[in-house]
Amino acid sequence: MAEQAQRRAFEAQAQEKPTDNNHAYEELRHLIVAPEQEGIASIQERLDNQEKRTEDVSAVVAEAIQMRREKGDDLALAAALAPTIQETLRESVRRDPHVLADALFPVMGPAIRKSIAETLRGMLESFNEALEHSLSWRGIQWRIEAFRTGKPFAEIVMMHSLLYRVEQVFLIHRETGLVLNHVVAPSAPAQDADMVAGLLSAIQQFARDSFQSGTTENLGNMTFDELQIRVVSGPNAVIAAAIRGHAPEAYNLAMNETLEEIQRHYSSALAHFTGDPGPFRTAEPQIARLLATQYREKPPEMRRPRAAMIVGAIAAVLVIGWAGYSTYLLIEWSRFLSEMRKQPGIVVVSYTKDGRTFHIQGFRDPLSEDPKKLISQAGLDPEQADLQLAPYYSLDDAIVARRATALLHPPAGVTLTAKDGELIPQGSAPEKWIAQLEEKAPWIAGVSRVDESHLQNSNLQQLNALKNTLESAVLLFPLGRAELEAGQETNLAQAEKNIRELVAQAAPLHQAVTIELVGHTDITGVEAANLPLSRQRADQIRAALLRNGVQSASLLPRGVGTSQPLRDEATEDGRRLNRSVTFKLTLTPLPAAGAVAANSGAAPAN
Amino acid sequence: MLQKKVCMLGSFSVGKSSLVRRFVASMFDEQYHTTIGVKVDKKVVNANGEDFTLVLWDIYGEDAFQKMRMSYLRGMHGYLLVVDGTRRQTLEDGLALHDRVVAEFEKVPAVLVLNKFDLTDQWEIEQAQETQLTAAGWTIEHTSAKTGAAVEKAFLHLAQLMLAK
Repeated sequence: MAEQAQRRAFEAQAQEKPTDNNHAYEELRHLIVAPEQEGIASIQERLDNQEKRTEDVSAVVAEAIQMRREKGDDLALAAALAPTIQETLRESVRRDPHVLADALFPVMGPAIRKSIAETLRGMLESFNEALEHSLSWRGIQWRIEAFRTGKPFAEIVMMHSLLYRVEQVFLIHRETGLVLNHVVAPSAPAQDADMVAGLLSAIQQFARDSFQSGTTENLGNMTFDELQIRVVSGPNAVIAAAIRGHAPEAYNLAMNETLEEIQRHYSSALAHFTGDPGPFRTAEPQIARLLATQYREKPPEMRRPRAAMIVGAIAAVLVIGWAGYSTYLLIEWSRFLSEMRKQPGIVVVSYTKDGRTFHIQGFRDPLSEDPKKLISQAGLDPEQADLQLAPYYSLDDAIVARRATALLHPPAGVTLTAKDGELIPQGSAPEKWIAQLEEKAPWIAGVSRVDESHLQNSNLQQLNALKNTLESAVLLFPLGRAELEAGQETNLAQAEKNIRELVAQAAPLHQAVTIELVGHTDITGVEAANLPLSRQRADQIRAALLRNGVQSASLLPRGVGTSQPLRDEATEDGRRLNRSVTFKLTLTPLPAAGAVAANSGAAPAN
Repeated sequence: MLQKKVCMLGSFSVGKSSLVRRFVASMFDEQYHTTIGVKVDKKVVNANGEDFTLVLWDIYGEDAFQKMRMSYLRGMHGYLLVVDGTRRQTLEDGLALHDRVVAEFEKVPAVLVLNKFDLTDQWEIEQAQETQLTAAGWTIEHTSAKTGAAVEKAFLHLAQLMLAK
C-alpha cells in the first residue's frame, strides 16, 4: 500500500511539474514521512468511520468499566450508569415484560417464601403469646393496652412480662478466647459457642489495641438496641452474658462475684489451661446461676393464687356483708319488739328466731294497733313475722277508751278517755245519751266508774238557754195601770211560747218548772199603792197565760213593788222599765220519771 | 472436647482464607475479616482417635496492623504458616513473621503450608529450599485450596503436633 501511494504521488507529481525545487521538497517529504502519513491517513479514516470507531470502543468498553470500578471510584460510575439502567429497565418492560419477569422469577420465589416464613414465624410467636395470656385478666388488660397504643400484642406482653432475660452466659479463657463453659437459657437462640467466644475475645483485643486504652481496660458492655452483651474480665477468665432487656447494676455485681469465685476455685486450672475444658465442667452451676430471668410482674405460677385471692376477697366481703346484715336485722327486730311491748293492748311474752322467721308469742287486744302495720312502719318485713298472739281484754287506758267509744257510740262533740278504770267523757251530749252512758258504762270491761264532771247535758243547756231567754223578757205597763201597754202582745206571745217550750223540754229531763211572775212598779206614788199594783200586774199576766192554756200549777204571781227595780229611776226609760212584769224560773229535778211535784207558795230558790 | 486455638499466619493473598473456607464450618461473614482483621472459624478434627475442636483465627494479612496481629496471637496453641508457592517473597515474609512470633511468645507447634500447589508451572519454591527448611525442623505440606489437595492433611498434622506437645 505504501508503494502504491508512493507511485501515485509520483504520478501526480509527474503530471504537475510546477518547479524543480518544489518537486524536490515534495519528494523529500514523501520519502521521509510517507509511512507516518499513511498511518495518520488510516487513523483519520478510522476516526471518520463511525462504524469502525464503534467497533474499537466495543472492544474495550467492558474492560474500561472494570478498570474504573477497580480504581475504587464505584460511586461515580454507578451514578453515571444509574439513570441509563433505569431507562433500560423501563424500556425492557415496555417492550416485553416477560423478559424481566423471567429474569426476576428465580429471585422472587425465594424472596416470597422467605417473607412468608418470617411472617408465619412471627404469627406463631404471637399466637403462642396470645394463647398464654388470653385467658388471664392480665392478658385482657394488655390487649386493651395494645389496642390503645397501637403496638403489637406480643410487644406489650414482652414489655410487661420481662424486665430482662439472660439468654447465654460464656465462661472464656482470657488468653486464648476458648470457651471453658457455656450455658443457654431454654428457648433462647444459640450459635456455636466456640466461634462466638473467639470473636468476642478478638473484638476485645481489637478495641483495646485500636483505642490505645492499655491492657488493663476491658470491654465492659456492648449494647445493640435491646440486646446487651456484658463482659467482666479477671486475670485469666472472662464471663460474658447476653442479655435481652435491661439488667440492673446488681447483675454486674453477680457477674463479678461469680467471676471471682471461679478465679479462686479454678486458679491453677486456668493458669495451666491447654485447651481441655474438662476441669471447668463443675463450674456450670455457678454460671447457670447467672441465667436470670426477671419478670416485671409476678411469674405466672403466682398469678393463679392471685385470682383465687380476689375471689376469696369477694367471698369474704359477701359473707361479712351477709353476717352484718343478719345482725343488723336481729338488732332491728329486738328494738322493734321492745317498742311493741310498750304498745297498749299488745303483750309480747317471748320470741324466737328460726332461719329468717321471727316467731312472736303473746297476747293482743282486738282493739290494739295491727302488729303487721307496726312492723311495716318500723321498716321491717311483715312477712318475716309469725305472730302467735292470743286475744285478750286489755285494761290499758287507751284500750278501755276505745272499747267504751265502740260500745257507747258517743255523739260528735263527746270524747271518751279512760284513766285507771275511770271513764271520763268530755264534751256535750244529749240527755238520752247520758242516760245510756250511765246505764252501760259500768258493764264495759275496765270501767269501774264514770266521771261526768266534764260532761255537759246538752238538753239541760238548751233548757237553761230558754230559761235565760225567759228571764230576760220584760212585759211593760203604762204608769199606774195593770193592763199591758199597747204593743206588748208580741212579747207576751213570745214569753208564752218560751214557757210552753220550757215545760215541754223540762219534762223528759225530769225537771219541774216553776215560774214566778214578778210584778214591778216604779217609785211614783206610795209604796202602799205600788205593792198591790205590782201584784195586780203579775195576776194580769197569769190570767192572760191561763186563758191561752198554759198550765196553772207552775205559774206563781208575785208583786215586789219597788224593791226589785230593773233599772235605776233616774231616767224616764229606767222608770218605764220598772213598770213591768218579769219572769223568774226555777228548775227542780224530779226524783222519778213523769212525776211533776205540786208546787205551792214560794218555790225554793234554784 | 479438647479445644485448641490455631492461627493462620502469612502475608497478603497467600490463601489463608481460602484454606479455611475449604476446611471449616463457617459462621461469620467475610466482613469480620475486613473490619476487625480476624475471622474466627471452627473445625472438629479426629486425631489419635480423639475428637477435638480447632478454633481457627484467620488473621488479615496486612502489614500495616502488625501490632494488632500480635495480640490476636496471644495464647494460641499452634499455627499454620501459609506461603504462596508462586511468590517466593511470601516465603521470606512468612519466615520473618515466624521469627517475630517466636520472639514475642513461646514456641508453639507450626506447620509450613506451601499453598497454590495446583499452579505447578508458576511454582517458585525450589526443592533445595524445602529440604533446608525440613532440616531446620519445619513440617511442610503442599496444599491447594482450589483443589483441596492436602488441606485436611495439613490441619490434621498440626493437630497431632499440638497433641504431642
